[in-house]
Amino acid sequence: MQALPLQKKSIWAARILFLLPVTLFFFFFFIYPFVFTVYTSFTSWRGIGGMAFNGLANYKKLILDPTFRKALGNNLIWALCQGFIQVPLACLVAMILVRKPKGWAFLRTVYYLPNVISTVALAMVWVAIYNVNGPLNAILGRLFGMEAKNWLGNPDTALFAVIFQTVIYIGYFMIVLLASAMNIPASLYEAAKIDGASTFQQELHITLPMLRGTLITTMTLAMAYGMRHFESTFLMTGGGPAYATTTMGIDLYLKMDALRYSEASTAGVFLIILGTVVITLLRKIFGKSDPMSEMAQ
Amino acid sequence: MKKRSKILVVLLVMLSLTLSLFAQSQAETGPQKEIELRWASIWVGNDSKAPAVEALVAEFNAANAGKIKVVIEPQPDYNAYEQKVRTSLAANQAPADIFTIKLNPTTEAFYQSKLLLDFAKVMDPQWKATFDAGSLAQSTIGGELKSLPMETAILPLWYNMDAFKTVGITAVPKTMAELFSAFDKLKRAGIAPSSQMTGDTNAWTSMIWFSHLAVSLGGVDVWEKSFTDPAFVEAAKLLKRFITEYSTSDAVGLGAGGSGGHFLAGRTAVFSNGPWYAGRADLAATPFFNSIKIAGLPPAGSTTDFAISRLQANICAASSKDSAREKATVEFLKFLTSAKSISRIAESSGAMFAIKTDYLPTKALQKQFYEVANSAKATAFDLEAALGAEVTLEFGQQLGALALGRITAEEFCALVDRKIER
Repeated sequence: MQALPLQKKSIWAARILFLLPVTLFFFFFFIYPFVFTVYTSFTSWRGIGGMAFNGLANYKKLILDPTFRKALGNNLIWALCQGFIQVPLACLVAMILVRKPKGWAFLRTVYYLPNVISTVALAMVWVAIYNVNGPLNAILGRLFGMEAKNWLGNPDTALFAVIFQTVIYIGYFMIVLLASAMNIPASLYEAAKIDGASTFQQELHITLPMLRGTLITTMTLAMAYGMRHFESTFLMTGGGPAYATTTMGIDLYLKMDALRYSEASTAGVFLIILGTVVITLLRKIFGKSDPMSEMAQ
Repeated sequence: MKKRSKILVVLLVMLSLTLSLFAQSQAETGPQKEIELRWASIWVGNDSKAPAVEALVAEFNAANAGKIKVVIEPQPDYNAYEQKVRTSLAANQAPADIFTIKLNPTTEAFYQSKLLLDFAKVMDPQWKATFDAGSLAQSTIGGELKSLPMETAILPLWYNMDAFKTVGITAVPKTMAELFSAFDKLKRAGIAPSSQMTGDTNAWTSMIWFSHLAVSLGGVDVWEKSFTDPAFVEAAKLLKRFITEYSTSDAVGLGAGGSGGHFLAGRTAVFSNGPWYAGRADLAATPFFNSIKIAGLPPAGSTTDFAISRLQANICAASSKDSAREKATVEFLKFLTSAKSISRIAESSGAMFAIKTDYLPTKALQKQFYEVANSAKATAFDLEAALGAEVTLEFGQQLGALALGRITAEEFCALVDRKIER
C-alpha cells in the first residue's frame, strides 16, 4: 500500500480534528439519547430501578390512549394553523413591507419584537387578556354586547385561543420572507410595469413565484414547530380543560411527571417518526427545496 | 536533543507521582478532612421557613467547624426542583447529599433507588421516638425508610369572617345547609363565596374541597374504595355545585395563584390551603387578616371531626460507601429534626412537622391550625397524597369538563378511576 503524501495526511488530520468536537457533541447529545429513548420505549421503566422488556406494549397503550389521540389531533391543528395561516400572514406583511411604505422599518421592528420577548412573559400577558374580567371580554362586551367568556377555561374556545396567540406573532417568518423578497431583482417589476401590470398582478406573477422556495421552507419550519408545540400552551392551560389543548409534547411531559418514563419515551419516538413523515410529505407535495440553503439566502 | 527531552519527561512524571504519593500519605496521617454536605433546599428565598433553616445550618456549621459543613443549594422553584430530583435519580445520581420529596404513590418509586439512605438501618430508638409514629409508618415502604417525614400539613378551609359579617353571619357554618345559606347571602352581597380552580396539574384548592367532601361521605378510608363509589359521585356533584354556583366565573382553568389571589383581594370569602400560607406577607397585609378563621368544611356525610392531612415534605439523604460521610449526614439530620430546631422553624413559619415537640404557636392564625389538628378525632389524606400525581392530574383535567356540564358526575368518577393502578 502506498503511503499518502504528507500534505494529504495533514489535510485529513485537520478535517477529522475540525469535525471531531461537533461529531462528539452530536453523538452524546442526540444519537445516544435517541437510541436510549428508542430502547426504553420497549421496556417498562419508571426512571428508577430496573427496566423490564415489554415488547410493543407501550406502543399499543399509546395508540389506544384517548389523551394521546386528542393530543395528536391538536398537534395536527397546530401544524395546519402555523403552516397555512401564520406563514401566509407573514408573507402578506413581507410583501407590503418590501415596497418600503412610510415607516416600514419601524413596522418591521414592531412585528419582530414579540420574537425577542420571553414566551413565558407573552403567555402570562395572554392569560390576562383572556381572563373573564380581562380586556378582551371588556372590548367584545362594549362593541358587540357579548357576554364575558372564559376563553381558556372552555374546551370549545381554549385550543383556538392558545393557537391565536402564537399564530399572530409572524415576525420570524416575516423577516425571512422579507429578506428573500428584497433579493428579487427590481428589473422584473420595472418590466412588468412597462407591460402595464397592476401591483396585484406584479405580486401574483413575480413576488409569489420568486418566493416559492422560501415559502416552502418557512411552511415546513412552521409546521414542524406546530408538531412539537409545548411552551405557551403548557403555561397558559397546562393542556386543559379536559385535555382540550393537550399536545403530544405536553402529554409526553406529563407522562414523565408521573414517572412513566418508558411511556414518555414511546411518545417521544412516535413524535420523531410523525415529524419526519410530515416533513417528508410536505417536501413531496411542494417539491424539492433545501431548507438550509433557503435559510442561508 | 530528542533523547534529552525524553529523559526530562520521564523525570517529570516520576516527580509528580512521588509528590502525589507523598500528598496522599500526608492526608491519611494528617488532620481529618472536613466533610461537605450539599443540601438541595426548597426552604430558601421567600419561603417562610428559610430564615430559621439558614440560621440552624449556620449554627450547626459553627459547632462542627473543621468536621462537617452543610452547604445549602437554593432551589426556589419547586417544580424545577422536583424535575431535578426525578431526572437525577433516573440518571443514577443523587440530586444532593440531602434533599426533600413529597411522598405519595407516584414518588414511592424513588424508594427503588439504591442511591437513597435507608434510615431504618441507621435510626436508633431514641431518634425514632421523636417522630410521630403515624407519619413514620406512612414513610416506611416495604420495611425501608428511605425518607424521613419532616413537614406535615392539614388542609383546612380559611374563612374570611369579615366577609361573612357583612351578610350578618358571625360564626363558621356548622352544617352544609348553613354553608349553602351563607353562600347564597354572600352571592347576593356581590362576594364570590369560594375560591375554586380546575387548573394546574392538581386543581389544588378544589382538590382540597373534594377531599373533605369525599372523606365525609365515604369515611377516612375512602381512598381505598373504587372511584366510582357513590361517595365520590356525590362529592363530585357537590363540588360541581360549589364551582358553578359559588365561585368566581374564571374558576374553570384557573391556577392556584389566581385562586389564592381572589381570596387575598377579598373577592372570595372561603379559601383552602395548608399552614405554610399563613406566613405570607401579602396575607398579613390584608385588612381581614385578623378575622380569618381556620376550620374544616361542614360535614357532607356521616364522617365528622376529621382533618385532611398530608406529608408535605420528607427528607432524603444520599447513601454513601464512606461511613464517615453517612455518619455526618445522620448527625446533621438529628440536629435538624431535634425538637429544639423544629420548634424554631415552626415558630417563624407556622408550618407543621412530623416531629414531636411541646411547641404551640403564639401567632393567632398559626395557633388555629394546631387547634384544628389537635381537635380532629381522625385524619385522612387528601386525594393527591392518597392516589398520586397521575390520578390528580386526571381529576383536574376532567373537573373542568364536569363543571362545564360536558360530563356527568358518574362519568367524571369513571374517568378518574381509570387512572388508578390497583
